[in-house]
Amino acid sequence: MGKYAIGEFEEVVLLTVAVLYENAYGIAIKEDIEQRLKRKVSVGAMRTALKRLEKKEFLTSEFGEATAIRGGKRKRYFRVTPYGKKALEKVMSDRQKLWEAIPTMAFDFK
Amino acid sequence: MLISPPKLPLKVLKWFCSPDLVEDVEGDLGELFRTRYENNKFRAQALFCLDVLFLFRPGIIRNIKFKQGLNQYVMLKNYFKIALRNALRYKGYTALNLFGLIVGIASSMLVLLWVQDERNMNSFHENGDKIYQAFRNMKQSNGVVSTTSSVPKPLADLVSDGYSEVDAIASFSWLMEMQITYEDQSTVEEGHFASPEFLNMFSFPILVGDKAKALDELNSVMISRAVAEKYFGENWQTEALGKIFKLQTANLSVSGVFENTGPNSTLQFDWLRPVQAYYNANRWVNNWGNGSFGLYLSISEEEKADRVAERILMEIMDHTVDNDAAGDEEVIIQKFEDTYLYSNFDNGVISGGRIDYVRIMTVVAIFILIVACINFMNLTTARSSRRSKEIGLRKVMGARKNSIGTQFYFEAFFLTTIAVALSTLVVILLLPYFNGLVDKSLSLDFMQINTWYFLGGLVLVVGTLSGSYPALLLPTFSILQSMKGGVKQSFFAELFRKGLVVFQFAISTLLIIGTAVVYKQIDYVLNKDLGLVKENLITIPLQAGMAQKLETYKTELLRLPDVKAVTASTGNPLSYGRSTSSASWEGKDPSAGYEVNVIITDEDFIRTSGMEILKGRDFSEQMQDSSNFIINEVAAQLMGFDDPLGKDLSFWGINGKITGVVKNFHMSNMYEPIAPLIITCIDPSRSAVMLVRIDNNSGTVLKSIEQITAELAPGSDFSYEFVDQVYAEGYRSEQTVGTLANIFAFISILISSLGLLGLTSYSAEQRSMEIGVRKVHGASVLQILMLLSKDYSRLILISFVLAIPAGYYVMQDWLNNFEFRTSLNVLVFLVATAIIFLIGVLTVGAKSYQAATANPVKSLRQE
Repeated sequence: MGKYAIGEFEEVVLLTVAVLYENAYGIAIKEDIEQRLKRKVSVGAMRTALKRLEKKEFLTSEFGEATAIRGGKRKRYFRVTPYGKKALEKVMSDRQKLWEAIPTMAFDFK
Repeated sequence: MLISPPKLPLKVLKWFCSPDLVEDVEGDLGELFRTRYENNKFRAQALFCLDVLFLFRPGIIRNIKFKQGLNQYVMLKNYFKIALRNALRYKGYTALNLFGLIVGIASSMLVLLWVQDERNMNSFHENGDKIYQAFRNMKQSNGVVSTTSSVPKPLADLVSDGYSEVDAIASFSWLMEMQITYEDQSTVEEGHFASPEFLNMFSFPILVGDKAKALDELNSVMISRAVAEKYFGENWQTEALGKIFKLQTANLSVSGVFENTGPNSTLQFDWLRPVQAYYNANRWVNNWGNGSFGLYLSISEEEKADRVAERILMEIMDHTVDNDAAGDEEVIIQKFEDTYLYSNFDNGVISGGRIDYVRIMTVVAIFILIVACINFMNLTTARSSRRSKEIGLRKVMGARKNSIGTQFYFEAFFLTTIAVALSTLVVILLLPYFNGLVDKSLSLDFMQINTWYFLGGLVLVVGTLSGSYPALLLPTFSILQSMKGGVKQSFFAELFRKGLVVFQFAISTLLIIGTAVVYKQIDYVLNKDLGLVKENLITIPLQAGMAQKLETYKTELLRLPDVKAVTASTGNPLSYGRSTSSASWEGKDPSAGYEVNVIITDEDFIRTSGMEILKGRDFSEQMQDSSNFIINEVAAQLMGFDDPLGKDLSFWGINGKITGVVKNFHMSNMYEPIAPLIITCIDPSRSAVMLVRIDNNSGTVLKSIEQITAELAPGSDFSYEFVDQVYAEGYRSEQTVGTLANIFAFISILISSLGLLGLTSYSAEQRSMEIGVRKVHGASVLQILMLLSKDYSRLILISFVLAIPAGYYVMQDWLNNFEFRTSLNVLVFLVATAIIFLIGVLTVGAKSYQAATANPVKSLRQE
């Protein structure tokens, strides 16, 4: 684990923030995960994940514009930091290493 | 305009959410809420609450900051811990307390659900608050005003054309039966003739067909989803439209299908046809003197409605001035939404109806809740001396009065929350049985935000009610006394507690008296001599075309060994409403108007129904009685004859003589006086039902009757009703209220006794030393029993002094609704008080006996 410690759900959220690029704010992230990955995301769970990611400095955020549908409340946009990108790469390369190490026979279910 | 999410959950969110997140989170939730709101507003509200609930997690909750010098959180944690320890240490008391609260809260929740459902009746019409119904108040010359919803058609036309305040009118017939045939299937369905505007005014969902045109064509008929499914199977949505139903005389084309009317509507029907079709076939409706259909008005503003009420009042009188036979009458309007709960008219003025029961049950629910709260108060304050050391120590350590108050509030709310949560479970478990009891389909819907408000409100009310007194009283203990142990409670506190016990038992007694009287009245109604023999008498509605085969039908039926007598008549004599105002007789004041009921039947009517002829003779086949009449006692009195026999009487252009007087029988419910009546056998073929007197109600005779009916009217479905069952059914709501009152009386006694049990065991414990000393000095068990029981027994007796006059007043008032009623006698009160006294004394006695028989050594050796 080490300094790039990241949970499964956190990883999903972080990747989605990257996917949405300039448009990554609360509801958009939630809806994107729900549509793309077909899993239910509660506002509470997502919020906690975002907060943790920010604390780990994988994410930065800034306030954006306010809209009427939000009752005049501003949006908070998230962006992945270079450090966050490293963490994602680390997770991917870890997995890649493991996949490569699996002998072909292990998945031979006949 | 932007819809805002529910306020309360939002406040909660703002309270717990950490400040740097709150703006963003609130925005997110708001956006979600508004998107969901488009689809379903109740769901959106409920989901909003759930979201707020799920946000309550570490990471989002604001940090509790100690550096501000507030130790609220720590104190609350301490209160919680102490409350839990205390609850677990005295398990018996806690169980007693919780059990009382749960029973009380659960039962009042059930009642309040019922009340809410009653109030929701007819509330699904979008413009329901703008619909008014017209009623006619007809003044009889004997001073009685009878109210009916059938108004003359010309009045409807006049309002429609000439009243600018009225946006639209809809005429709506009484419930009619219609036999419809499609291919080889035939059934009798009930429905109404209605104006095309009816569909716009009311919000019955139309599933198939064009709402605007469905009732335009004279030969069109709209059917309910149930009928459509019956005739056209699963594909009714595509099949039904345009299909032709055969009627006896006409063909009807299906122009639409509406959703089944459902349990929330008082208007129940399976078909609708255009009123014009009825008007064309019945010219009599065009007369101002003939009441015909019901009339609904759509009026957009209250203030306009007042003007309409003023204008419409004398319309019928004004248009019938030339008509001598016309009565003295007024037209009033009532809000349609009120017609279900306020359906009783007393002399032309609305005098209540089901609203009475709704009110009674609301009061009962509140009483039960109070009784449960009193238990909590009494047990907490009585046992406070156990906590006196704790209170004293807290004070020494610097606790202020109000923080000790807070502690006891906290404990009350803590227990109440548990109790409400458990009662909700109990309610969910009991709802199916309760639904069976009150014949409704109530449910607790957790997707509705109101349910959460209701539960939250319950916690707040019960917590405050039961926590306030301890929280006010306990902090007043002086430090010294409480540290020494054994606070002597003030005289006032003791008195207050006793007062509460008296109040509890007074309520229980009141409920028992109420139950007894309701049961007595129901018993009276069901067993009253109605003037005819209602047992083993069945009514069979006559199918189309059967009126011509009456004689054959009768002879065939009479051949059955178990059939005693058969008669055809215009209706079930126990609920009869066909009347005329055109009757005149020798010596009648020509200007006086009376409504007189008319039964058209045959010669066997009196014999079959088991009525009694007081004067003169019954109809008989040999005497050619078709122009002779039998009247009832009320009619004889009204006409003012000393000897009515042989006097001339005429109505509907039929002239004849009175040959007999029949003993009064009830044609309406017990709320109404018996109406005057004329019985004639002029034309039995106008009959609507067959009355059959059978020997016993075995299945075989009913089977045989069905066979005979099927042979004579092939293809139609056979139905029958027992007259006594129909009669009992009419008192369903009274019986329901009786059962509910019975259950609640029981619950109230149970809770009060639990409280009493707690109090007695506490005082026995307190006085254990005294009892020990007395026993050592030779007091007998009986003496000690008396010593301990007499205080509380006296309280119960005092409660009777309060309950009896209140019970007498309330129940006499209820009985006064009935024209025919049982009397309130001493026995009711004696039985009620005896039951309560016995239960109370047994409770106190049992606990005291335990104390009195304990070995004195145990209590004395401690010092």
